[in-house]
Amino acid sequence: MNEKIQRELFHYLNKNKIKNFIGVPDSTLKHFIDECIKNKNIIITTREEEALGIATGTTLSKSPTLVFMQNAGFANSISTITSLVQLYEIPIILLIGWRGYLPDDAPEHIKIGKIQPELLKIIGLKSKIITENNWKQNSDWALKQIKEKKPCALIVRRMFHD
Amino acid sequence: MIRKEAVKIIAKSVGNSPIVSANGFMSRDLFEVHDKKSNFYMIGSMGLASSIGLGLALKNPKKQIFIFDGDGNILMNLGSLVTIGSLQPKNLVHIVFDNNSHESTGSQPTNSSIINLEKIAKDAHYTTFTIKSKIKLNLILKKIQKIQGPIFLLIKISTSKERSKRVLWKPKTIRDRVMESI
Repeated sequence: MNEKIQRELFHYLNKNKIKNFIGVPDSTLKHFIDECIKNKNIIITTREEEALGIATGTTLSKSPTLVFMQNAGFANSISTITSLVQLYEIPIILLIGWRGYLPDDAPEHIKIGKIQPELLKIIGLKSKIITENNWKQNSDWALKQIKEKKPCALIVRRMFHD
Repeated sequence: MIRKEAVKIIAKSVGNSPIVSANGFMSRDLFEVHDKKSNFYMIGSMGLASSIGLGLALKNPKKQIFIFDGDGNILMNLGSLVTIGSLQPKNLVHIVFDNNSHESTGSQPTNSSIINLEKIAKDAHYTTFTIKSKIKLNLILKKIQKIQGPIFLLIKISTSKERSKRVLWKPKTIRDRVMESI
């Protein structure tokens, strides 16, 4: 997803009442995260589970929240998602950078990247892949999900190497 | 002092202030001695009570937010001390009931007997106190009404055979009660 759209995504969600942006940095999402920093609306945490915990507190305070992470961090967070976010039905939007989408990504990302769609499916977390063409429509879907008190995920594929 | 006694003294003293309690016997003790709508009983997600409490504290600056944590719990999320210490929420009171053990899973030892948690919290820019008696606990509870957070209380407790009943509220009900009361 290009820089311009990533920056627009922050403003679109923010205008649509997402008040808090919390997470662990990921290079796939770096322009989005940079826009959070520029607008002084970010908490960078030490781990992804910690971000989900803080987001639970802000969401309980009726302040809608997005948590960003790489899919390695999503794997870290499975227990927190199932035993906190899903169990209590805390409506949080997860924005996940998908490493290992390209089959020749760095070796540490290959296995988790391959099972990423199945992991989401098996834990029953509804998700949509966002692209430069559908990002607005799928952001609206995510905003509707949390209005109905359902957590959900938006996935950004890593389409480049560095 | 056992955990349940300390929980009772603090829960009564803080009145209506929201409390986030860690999973295991901690939430069960709080539920049994002082159930109220603004208690968030964490039943899974071990380690995250301090983070949930931080989220509440940031969004409710006029309310004092209490975290009832255990030594095993905070050792799973030591990074949260860095995040809390960096953000300096004035209304956050982080209480660790330290029995040097994972009592909920059969009293296996933790390393809080070797590494001092108060020192770690102090380095993370909390205002800290260590408490070993009921008299000091009552004294500190008065004192913290007048000082700014983040505040860290390390309460040394002994293990006990006393068992509180499980939290009877369903997780979604816990969520709704907290959201209505905040």
